[in-house]
Amino acid sequence: MMRVSLAVRPRKKPTIPIEAETITPASFLEGAEIQVWRGNRELPLDEVFAVTIEGAADRPEDVEIVLSGDTSRMKRVGEYMDAGRIVIDGDIGMHCGNFMSGGVIEIGGNADGWLGREMQGGTIICRGNAADYCAAGYRGGRKGMTGGTVEIFGNAGDFAAENLAGGTVIIHGNAGDMAGVELHDGTLIIKGDCRRPCGNMSGGVCVIYGIAYDMLPTFRKMGTEIRDGREFLSFTGDIANRGKGNLIVKDCTYQD
Amino acid sequence: MSEILIKNAYVIDPISGVNGETMDIAIRDGRIVEDVGGGAEVIDARGALTLPGGIDSHTHICGTKVNFGRYMSPEDMRAGRTARHGYMHATSGYSVPTTYGNSYRYSRMGYTTLLEGAMAPLEARHTHEEFLYTPLQDTMANALFDGNWSILEAIRDGDTKRVAAIIGWFLTAVKGFAVKLTNPGGTEAWGWGKDVTCIHNPVPNFEVSPSEIITAVVKANEMLRLPHSVHLHCNNLGKPGNYTCTMGTLGLIPDLNKKRQTLYATHVQFHSYGGSGWSDFCSKSEPVANVVNMRPQIVIDMGQVMFGKTTTMTADGPMEFNLYRLHHDKWSNHDVELETGSGIIPVLYRRKNLVNAVMWAIGLELGLLVKDPWQCIMATDNPNGAPFVRYPEVIALLMSKKYRDEEFATVHPDTESRVPLPAIEREMDWYEIAVMTRAAQAKALGIVDIGKGHLGVGAEADVAIYPVRADEVDPAVDYRKVIEAFGKTEYTIKRGRVVSRRGECLVDGNNTTIWVKPKISEEYNMANDPDFIAKFDRYYTVRMSNYPVQDEYLKRNLCIETEAEL
Repeated sequence: MMRVSLAVRPRKKPTIPIEAETITPASFLEGAEIQVWRGNRELPLDEVFAVTIEGAADRPEDVEIVLSGDTSRMKRVGEYMDAGRIVIDGDIGMHCGNFMSGGVIEIGGNADGWLGREMQGGTIICRGNAADYCAAGYRGGRKGMTGGTVEIFGNAGDFAAENLAGGTVIIHGNAGDMAGVELHDGTLIIKGDCRRPCGNMSGGVCVIYGIAYDMLPTFRKMGTEIRDGREFLSFTGDIANRGKGNLIVKDCTYQD
Repeated sequence: MSEILIKNAYVIDPISGVNGETMDIAIRDGRIVEDVGGGAEVIDARGALTLPGGIDSHTHICGTKVNFGRYMSPEDMRAGRTARHGYMHATSGYSVPTTYGNSYRYSRMGYTTLLEGAMAPLEARHTHEEFLYTPLQDTMANALFDGNWSILEAIRDGDTKRVAAIIGWFLTAVKGFAVKLTNPGGTEAWGWGKDVTCIHNPVPNFEVSPSEIITAVVKANEMLRLPHSVHLHCNNLGKPGNYTCTMGTLGLIPDLNKKRQTLYATHVQFHSYGGSGWSDFCSKSEPVANVVNMRPQIVIDMGQVMFGKTTTMTADGPMEFNLYRLHHDKWSNHDVELETGSGIIPVLYRRKNLVNAVMWAIGLELGLLVKDPWQCIMATDNPNGAPFVRYPEVIALLMSKKYRDEEFATVHPDTESRVPLPAIEREMDWYEIAVMTRAAQAKALGIVDIGKGHLGVGAEADVAIYPVRADEVDPAVDYRKVIEAFGKTEYTIKRGRVVSRRGECLVDGNNTTIWVKPKISEEYNMANDPDFIAKFDRYYTVRMSNYPVQDEYLKRNLCIETEAEL
């Protein structure tokens, strides 16, 4: 087992973003010097972090990276990660876990926008809130997340699981506007409330345990079903574009 | 004072009548001169092929729809990434690269002047802003007039002078270079969910037909004495059987200008289709090329399709909707108030797709069947037929029957029964390629007089030196060398500075935007016309006083003033 501890050194200008797509378990195996970008400057990793490495590993599965300190402006941590584990004690910046295909990312605090964008596999757990475009696709992309699991224990922002095409997204709190818009396949579960879910959905399943506000009128009601001992309404849609998705809500309101 | 002397250049300069002479070229302060002093920087071309800087007379590189093409295709932006390097900014994108990506890649291929094929007048600022960041090529833009309400009404009233006056006002206001008609009337009809099927179909709400629009605007264009002719994207693009419509359109055009053509018909490949549907789709390049051969007042560009991924973008909104119904993929549709519209769709042209293979053949056939290379320009309607980085392959296909045959063997087997390409023996020579890639463009755009497209004394010192010995290499056999040479210059010189050397761009660049301003008498000044002002007040979302593009949008620019007959 290799355990890499990265403690952020105090920064003079803590708002300047750091592009840290090199922080993945695989890159610590290669032995090469790891560089990150701070604004428009490329720096060695240990100029930004106090780096402590314990133990050794010869495959990424056996690498655990722990980030501590103010990591709220660290972007792209765990991008293209395929195995291993990243634990973030605090908040994490945008694009954490982009294109990730395996392994685990655990975030103790909040995640900024685009958490797990276009993710293909693996697991992301966020104990706090996630900002907009959590587990989504990129703007203009055909497909968003295609596999794996994202679990948010707090609330999610707008466009959660936009363009979802596979895998599972679970949000224990509320989601924002347009959750699951353009959903093709996979499962989106929202334990709280959300607004205008699943516009232009073509397939897949979305379950909302709270209230879906401003439901789109282009979902046809199919009946009711019992989940966890409670009665839910089941819809199909988005029929505006001949979609065959399944939207299941505990309760909903329509716009006047 | 900067001086360059290019020695031992194997020069082909069709406009100056030079065909393969080994000579020296002297440059001082951005212009070609008779000779320079002993202190000049010497570039030894070692007999390499030396041509005037390349000119693309129809490309989509800057503006709102190009940018939306970038926005809607993150997969395309991921395809062509290059890191910051020396003077070169980071770039990304393949079929719709970033502005720097366009500029560096064109420069690497020896191109020094570009014409943006379609700029919606209302959105001209965006085009000019992107021109500022396309630093290694001089730029100009066609302004769209296909569905302009004021113009359609003037045409309905039979008032060609008013048509000219309105065009003059808009061109000056938006700092445009030429008049573009994209599916005349059709895009306006699309605003009401309709299209026009051919040139005699009426445009809803305006009681005019495309043929009346084309005829009136061609006349108005000559009244304004604009450097370029009307630049026309015919009606009915991309539909089987549309060649009759194209021939009818070309037949409308009188010969009104002694110096250049009267009509530039763009991407004619997309307009030379036979058959009654996709099942009997076939090439009708022969009759279309025959019409062009008989009518010297017409210049066309090929609109060549090359196999691979690209993005289609055009002001022809209804056509893109038809494409959407074929592909059911991403689609963008846009309406530009009282002017025009647009649509964008990413496509993949496949060798094994019969329709795509026929399209590929038609472009080449047009290039080969139009006898006079001055009448058929090499272009792919970048990025609609293929991204411009494929130009070297198109050039090689025109030069080598062997290459064409090898490629033909890889396409859908039924293609042979639907196209005349295999029977065409013509192989273009270096001179014809020089015409089709720069000289014909300069002549057609009317920019020879400002020193574009040639290397005569006084011309702009835009020079491309390609790493190939044209007197030794047989392009019909060694077509690989042709592709390699046209893909990367040894030197690209822009306004007397080496801007690119073996693919590496060496300067930040500082381009010129060329635009026209017709001088119109007070009587025809639309700024004082009550009806025209009323139209603005009533329908536009912007005030007339805020409409014109401010001078700040053009840093370095060249205004061509013309004496209009108004």
